Amino acid sequence: MNFLQHVINGLVIGHGYALIAIGWTVLLGVARLVNFGHGQMYMLGAFVTWFSMSSLGLSYWVALPIAVLVGALVGFIMQRIMLNLTIRQDLVSVMIATLGFGYILEGVAALTFGSTGQILDTPLSLRDVYWGDLWFTWQDIAVVLVTIAFFIALKLVVEHSSVGRRVRMVAEDPKLALLAGINVKWVYLGVFCFEGAAVALAAGMVAPRTPILTSMGFDEVIITFVVVVLGGIGSVTGSYLAGLGIGIFTAFFGAYVSAAYSTAAMFVLLIALLVLRPNGMTQSMARH
Amino acid sequence: MSISPEYVLQVENLNAEYNGNRALVVEQLGLREKELMGVVGANGAGKSTLVGAILNWSRGAAKVSGRVWLDGEDISSLSTPERVKRGLLLIPESQLIFHNMSVADNLAHHATSKVDGRHIYSLDDVYDLFPNLALRRDNMGWQLSGGERQMLGIARALRMAPRVLLLDEPSIGLAPKLVSAVLETVRQLADNGLTVLLIEQNVHAAIEVVDSMALLDQGHVLAKGSVDEMRGDPRIAEAYLGGEAS
Repeated sequence: MNFLQHVINGLVIGHGYALIAIGWTVLLGVARLVNFGHGQMYMLGAFVTWFSMSSLGLSYWVALPIAVLVGALVGFIMQRIMLNLTIRQDLVSVMIATLGFGYILEGVAALTFGSTGQILDTPLSLRDVYWGDLWFTWQDIAVVLVTIAFFIALKLVVEHSSVGRRVRMVAEDPKLALLAGINVKWVYLGVFCFEGAAVALAAGMVAPRTPILTSMGFDEVIITFVVVVLGGIGSVTGSYLAGLGIGIFTAFFGAYVSAAYSTAAMFVLLIALLVLRPNGMTQSMARH
Repeated sequence: MSISPEYVLQVENLNAEYNGNRALVVEQLGLREKELMGVVGANGAGKSTLVGAILNWSRGAAKVSGRVWLDGEDISSLSTPERVKRGLLLIPESQLIFHNMSVADNLAHHATSKVDGRHIYSLDDVYDLFPNLALRRDNMGWQLSGGERQMLGIARALRMAPRVLLLDEPSIGLAPKLVSAVLETVRQLADNGLTVLLIEQNVHAAIEVVDSMALLDQGHVLAKGSVDEMRGDPRIAEAYLGGEAS
């Protein structure tokens, strides 16, 4: 496999990582919260897309929005249950609650969809593109384009819209935001909905690249954690760049060293960068 | 006691406690239309707790009870954002602006609907009132001086169409000249028709601009009256004016 093919693989993987992490970026930047059920929400998004297509006979273009809606609903329910913990910023309880919620999702998914691996084929993943010696699929192109479009849209909304301004106000100082007439609880609920919807979209886009299992999710939450921390907690641009960087690193490490150790190598890279740049690569949405 | 039509803002049996420790016990307090009332008292007297309790807001975990009326409407059961939307605007002591947002961004958030005839200060209005903010509109909040932050805090509140402005220690940390400038601006706002409750430890400065005063001690209102009456009150004179009751 030539060098350019590794670059393409890295770009696709990296955009996928960034897309998976985008919801957490906003969640951590705004609510100062983590969601260790993020990986299982990714799994659920993938299986809702798969189920809608394989069992309900819906097209990919209908299944994907359904997965996004289900993701948003799961995010809403999760946050509604934890709202008091969120308001109190009780991080330990939130971590335990989200972890438990993730395992509940995994159990429910296994009962609903079964425990065997599935392949999520889409009209895009089945169409190959050959360009000289290079190979990729239309799904890969879609992952890159959707990720770029999503990040540009998110950046515009966060920095230039009234909604984004409110979110930034809550991110910086939720108490002061109350005195600006902002309903902080609704902002928290909205952010969790967004996270659920975003990770479901990511699942519907990225999961067709690999077999899907109801037990998956751990790798995704680890990757998300690395991307968000490396990018600077809460930084939209930082998450995009971190996702891209890790994707390219993973592709090259897997090709030239060993794919089996790429997650471990990712953490070595994270630790090294955190020592050199403790705040991540860029500024966050709530810190100057 | 019942609601009195002479007051724009009225509180009754307003209590606040932190972890079971009573910090505020105000039986009755009212602000008339266009009145600028100063609330003075020593550190820990409950001044900040009072304005926070009026909005059911606190940076700590205060438990608030009692009744609050605004323009005759009982707003005691409303959340803080709902009270803000009705025109109760608090500029808290310190941490009064969004430091990681630009001046322009701080001022971009404003009331848009249901203002019941209240005046929404436009950007031009606030920049006319505080020319320094116009010059620094692209600067981030954290780049402003203490005086500019205070101005931005007031300007932010004005953009939200205030019915009653509650200012918590606007002079804190400011040079004497800036204290006068800030308090003169507050006086100007009251002269323009705004009702203001001013929490102030600097009694010397506050007494020059307010219409009336209330003295708070250990959470209780010890005395209240017109500024002339309070100037002559021995408790004010002894504790805050160097014993020179006039």
